[in-house]
Amino acid sequence: MARRTQTEELFDAELADMPPELRWREWMGRVEAVIFASPVPVGRETLARVVGRDCSLDLLIDDIRDELVGRPYELVAVAGGWQHRTKNGFAAAIRAATGLGAPDSKALSQAESLVLLCIGYFQPITRAELGQVFGKEVSRDTIGHLRKLGFIAAGPRSPQPGAPYTYVTTPAFLSQFGFETLRDLPDFERLEDAGLLSKDRLLAGDLLPSFSAIGDSEEVTPVHDQHEVSVDDE
Amino acid sequence: MSAADSTASLAFMPPAVPGWALPRGPVTSDVEAAFLAGAALNSLDNLVCTATPWAGAWRQRMALKCAAAAVALAGRTEDEAQLRDAWHLRTAGADPGPAGNLLAAWRRLAERSPDIGPDALRSIVAVLGLRWRDDLAGLECFDGLARSNRPAPLVAAALMAEVQRVRPDAELLAWWLADLAIAARMRWPMAMPMLVTQARGPAFRSAGGRGRIRPGGEGFERGICVALALAAAQACRLAGEIAPRAARLVAAAPKLRAKGAGDVIQLLLDDDAVSGTWQTASLTRWGARRLFDRLTSLDAVRELSGRASFRLYGL
Repeated sequence: MARRTQTEELFDAELADMPPELRWREWMGRVEAVIFASPVPVGRETLARVVGRDCSLDLLIDDIRDELVGRPYELVAVAGGWQHRTKNGFAAAIRAATGLGAPDSKALSQAESLVLLCIGYFQPITRAELGQVFGKEVSRDTIGHLRKLGFIAAGPRSPQPGAPYTYVTTPAFLSQFGFETLRDLPDFERLEDAGLLSKDRLLAGDLLPSFSAIGDSEEVTPVHDQHEVSVDDE
Repeated sequence: MSAADSTASLAFMPPAVPGWALPRGPVTSDVEAAFLAGAALNSLDNLVCTATPWAGAWRQRMALKCAAAAVALAGRTEDEAQLRDAWHLRTAGADPGPAGNLLAAWRRLAERSPDIGPDALRSIVAVLGLRWRDDLAGLECFDGLARSNRPAPLVAAALMAEVQRVRPDAELLAWWLADLAIAARMRWPMAMPMLVTQARGPAFRSAGGRGRIRPGGEGFERGICVALALAAAQACRLAGEIAPRAARLVAAAPKLRAKGAGDVIQLLLDDDAVSGTWQTASLTRWGARRLFDRLTSLDAVRELSGRASFRLYGL
């Protein structure tokens, strides 16, 4: 125990006696190692502990990314942190080798993905409103499954009879789908420009054709947790 | 300050921005814009520096107006009533949703002193739903701007131009910080949320063609001055509406016999709205309901949502 505290105290984040070039390389190595070792996206504060005070993390990450250009995995910014993820093009190879990423009970079905996407766009939204969007009731099981996976959480209660909970997406949702903020949802701007992004109009029911078209074209197939895969990959 | 001993300052009638200090038609000269902004800011300054008992309700209502404007800027469709619902109908600690978070950001602005550290900046960037990058931490020139000798509107304009240069996508943050810069430069104890309400207003309409003046663009400083004059006038007008209502509320206080009535009155003076089912140890939700009914019949509060259930009361 005493030994461990000693090593912590001895950890030199600044590396003041190194030449700048070498120090930068060392910092890059440290940051990449920390991100590589973590099963969840690593936040800025954590990374700041292993580099010097005047080090710009963004530039450092950019340099690491440049190095990874030829590799089958990349460093992506998700949910307020960074994580190693396998590049999309290798999904088929991973699936063929290990079966990971294949549709299984834990992954989202097409319907669940659509519901999740709908919540992402129109949150906070109640289950009844979701039912109106899809033209049929969205089952409690669907909502329950999404909640269990941690993609959605309860938001404010809707001022209607029964005070139903509305649903909002969580940071886990952002992480899973590789978004940093909700503004990254596909085609947000284009939908806005087209005047389509309106819950009222959606509930009025004149939006469904274009909405489901988006659902088909965009990537709503389950994104598997690729970090573990990338570890196996090494 | 308790509700009872504040009757003296309730007689205080908030100053309005004089009519000659409001722009009539497009403002074409920088000098005129600066003059208007100075005149309007003086009225607002008098108001901000008077510790009125209803200042909380006033600030939070301005925050609500700002949040509604910010929601529109962010491309969402929620209006003021929906923002209020998102805020007041959520359970404690629950996520109010993306639009509710914008309200949270401006509510926070209304409650905070005008200096901001890196941690607070980071948390507000997250609440606004923006991406954090380290170049925003470089905005610590904020301190320098606030202490400079330049006039408040120009300080705000410079800061907004800086944010725009560093992060073109962080428009909401620029507006949020602009209010903070004004407050810091005016030496106000707390920031006053107001400027973003003018973001789509006439102040930033470019002279000849269509389109808007961007931060850092030509004429932006003039635009900020005009926007500030309009926003200050709006804030003063709102104070003028709230002051008599607050006076009526405090006058009605002695007629109430409910145990927790004092708390409710204080809360009404401090916040934009109070849920009709608000309860404390000394006031049950049924008690609260009767109390609000009585207050409504005395014309001391208004029901804000227009609903028969999930009511929200406020000045």
